Amino acid sequence: MTSTDDRADELHAAGLDGQNRTALGRLLGTGKVGHAEVGDDGVMRATVRIPEDELIFEPSILVFPHGGSVELTLINDDKNTHCAVLPSNGDPKIIWLVNHSKGIARLELGGPGTYYYGSTTGNDEGRGLTAALVFGGEVPDSAKLDRPPQPRP
Amino acid sequence: MTDYVDAGEAVPHKTLSATKGQAPPINDVNYERIRNARNEPANWMTYYGTYDGQRYSTLNQINKDNVKNLVPAWVFQAGSAGLHAGASTYSFEASPLVVDGVMFVSGPDGKVWAIDPTTGEELWRYKHASPYDTSLCCGNVNRGVAVGHGKVYMYTLNAHLIALDAQTGELVFDTVNGDVRAGESGSVAPLIVKDMVVVGSAGGEFGTRGHMDAFDAQTGERRWRCYTVPKPGEPGSETWGDENAEAWQRGGANCWVTATYDPELELLYQGTGNPAPDFDGEVRPGDNLYTDSVVAVDVNTGEIRWHYQFTPHDLWDYDSTMENLLFDAPDGRKLLAHADKNGYFFVLDRTNGELVRVFPFVDRITWGEITPDGKVTPKVYPDEEGVPVHFWPGPAGGKEWTHMSYNPQTGLIYVPVQEVGATATRRRREFKESIPYWGAGVAVDLDDHYGFVAAIDPLTGEEKWRWNHEYPMCASTLTTAGGLVFQGTPTGEFVALDAETGEKLWQFQCGSGHHSSPTTYEVDGRQYIAVPTGWGGWVEGFLPGLLGAAAGDALFCFALPQS
Repeated sequence: MTSTDDRADELHAAGLDGQNRTALGRLLGTGKVGHAEVGDDGVMRATVRIPEDELIFEPSILVFPHGGSVELTLINDDKNTHCAVLPSNGDPKIIWLVNHSKGIARLELGGPGTYYYGSTTGNDEGRGLTAALVFGGEVPDSAKLDRPPQPRP
Repeated sequence: MTDYVDAGEAVPHKTLSATKGQAPPINDVNYERIRNARNEPANWMTYYGTYDGQRYSTLNQINKDNVKNLVPAWVFQAGSAGLHAGASTYSFEASPLVVDGVMFVSGPDGKVWAIDPTTGEELWRYKHASPYDTSLCCGNVNRGVAVGHGKVYMYTLNAHLIALDAQTGELVFDTVNGDVRAGESGSVAPLIVKDMVVVGSAGGEFGTRGHMDAFDAQTGERRWRCYTVPKPGEPGSETWGDENAEAWQRGGANCWVTATYDPELELLYQGTGNPAPDFDGEVRPGDNLYTDSVVAVDVNTGEIRWHYQFTPHDLWDYDSTMENLLFDAPDGRKLLAHADKNGYFFVLDRTNGELVRVFPFVDRITWGEITPDGKVTPKVYPDEEGVPVHFWPGPAGGKEWTHMSYNPQTGLIYVPVQEVGATATRRRREFKESIPYWGAGVAVDLDDHYGFVAAIDPLTGEEKWRWNHEYPMCASTLTTAGGLVFQGTPTGEFVALDAETGEKLWQFQCGSGHHSSPTTYEVDGRQYIAVPTGWGGWVEGFLPGLLGAAAGDALFCFALPQS
């Protein structure tokens, strides 16, 4: 079995966890896993940062307990300009993130399921600035099939 | 370090575009208006143009004499940004609607637009965000919207029924109707009937239990749900093995193509999908009702009044979801026409489901035989574990979901035909929710394929003419009072045929294959033909010989030159 540390060591040894090592960019999905906090108002909040010269949203995987209203704080600690285009019901949201800037994105997303967002300038997305918003939970009972519980993988 | 620069708040992407955010008001589209849609040929108000599914327009400005002059009026590009579900399988499959000078159309990945139908200018847009990991058997697709009651309705990839304000595109309601963890999804164009909106489920390849649903058009509250696989004790449950069997729970019979409707009989005619697992029939002994059937559903209650099963105990993935076209015989008998995946063309009495006539409409049928009186005899099927079996038609059928059309002037039905076979090798597997549940390995023939448009007299079964093509026909036909049949090809050509002879009169290369439903409308005295293009969807099923063809997502609109 591979532990979290083993996995990080494997990625590092293979040169996949940084820029311009084995590959040109950083392999997607190799950042940290973060969890949103649910506020008293029901809004799920989290913060992601773009560290200097890493071309990654950190954490690159954000987990939410269920679908709903999201408030992301986005901080660009890099010495280059990036942006974020994020999925949201109605229309994707875009925020421009110049060097050393901070902003927020308010999103409405259904769950369960996974959504990706990225910095859509140059090929930031390919270099590593593509990250995941993962929503857990189940659909409402009214949307479930009338049948006994079924086995899952 | 200094304080952070304030980047503000993320804004909707569309605010950085030329979209206007507002469409002109349209008149109220209510039940009576849709019911009489044939009397408003300038509009294409509902999915098939009219409730009967004929895909026929009385517009005749564009006709067989002048169609050679047809030119593009405008092109609308759907586009995409970032990672989205089905990134390699998206397809522009919709049937554009036009109401009172505004076009409403859906595209891949949850997009809906209002468009100026004379210029292609984007008036408003809405994009429903669908998870990247939604289970999709057949690509990131949507077949269209419904317009009525001041709203635009779409059934989303992740099985939500959403309603938008027709003038602004703002969300009115969002009702979750399917279980994405169970492998359910949505692709059907909703149908407005009375004060309801009707949709159906997708997900048969993942072992779901099929259903169609009606909702209050104003609130999104569900009025009824009609399961198309009965539970133990319900009529038809005896066709799923013994009472303790579990097969019905994953039985399939999904309803992913829009129903037709007879307002006088108040019956919806819904085609149902394949049983699950698709190819392993041993785990689901019996006829497996109501898979591969047409079910006549009482629109007021959701109860099944009658059914006709086209392929009992299907072992070839022969969904019957495609349209059931309604027409009347010269003696007034109310009939229903259905060209099935299994290669046979059925004519039924739509008041009671009685078989009137059945005959083959493709050249090659090896899976079995259906006699003129409707007796079905399977001949070739994957019944032995690990043994490959080849059969025609393949699992995409002699005709896929894409639609035929009926021209009352000629009395002919124009069928897009696919001639392609497949090999299935039974491989039993256990059921796990959300995992594909086929019960076989399947490879559709990479060559030895062709296609044609067949002009069929539904009263006699005679094929009056055919227009041949090197590749199977994978898009809907449209026919008009101009004496024309329009057909898009997999290689990108959009062609106009003479409805009486099949002679090709015009073509235009759209740059990517067709897998959609063209429509026609008129604004300010000018007739237009609109056709979404973009090769994708379940290409490995209906034409893997063109899996390497270029994708696309453009909506073309044609008209005669303005003098």
